[in-house]
Amino acid sequence: MPVYKVSIVVAGSDHPGAILNMSRPPKIGEKIRLGTREFQVVEVLKLLPPRGDFQYIHATCRAVENP
Amino acid sequence: MGLLEILQDVELFEGLEQGEIEQIALLCTERRVAESEQLTTQGEPGDELYIITEGFLEVIIGGTSTSQRRVVVNLGAGQVVGEMALIDQGPRSATVRAIDEPTTVQTIKREAFEKLCMENNRIGYIVMRNLAADLSFKLRHHNLSERD
Repeated sequence: MPVYKVSIVVAGSDHPGAILNMSRPPKIGEKIRLGTREFQVVEVLKLLPPRGDFQYIHATCRAVENP
Repeated sequence: MGLLEILQDVELFEGLEQGEIEQIALLCTERRVAESEQLTTQGEPGDELYIITEGFLEVIIGGTSTSQRRVVVNLGAGQVVGEMALIDQGPRSATVRAIDEPTTVQTIKREAFEKLCMENNRIGYIVMRNLAADLSFKLRHHNLSERD
């Protein structure tokens, strides 16, 4: 099973960003929860060539607006 | 999920065979970290590596006062913390604390880790290569966070 090692940068927010493993790649438009906060993915890039079971992804997110 | 399955999904052990991961598993001790509990303190000595299996840790650098401190990244499942002290034997480069409940880590002592790498050079080579790749990934993440 592939493992997606994801670098997440949060634009326009005080959140420092995160690195974590995911079981599937992030998709533009979907929401990602980092601890207690939720963010929306606005950009996804392949960061490095895959190695073994690992895929290396970068995602840029923005804070989700409260309704 | 069992410990062997957890370790197979950690990049640090990518390329190791099942029997080699079983040898690594023998070095691991599980530790649950309460929210806000510190795992490491910047400037203090350290002789352990941590593998996050659940939850999130935040990595903080800066001075002793709150105004000088800065959270540089949050690390989630599958990530490694404390690897610099394991490699260079220097003091902890950052303060690390849990920001999620539950947060669980697997702890590996430097002495036991070095002994295994010396006894089995294949394990030593692969794990050290993967440690270098992990440090490189963290540097790339930092560069991307400075992009704007």
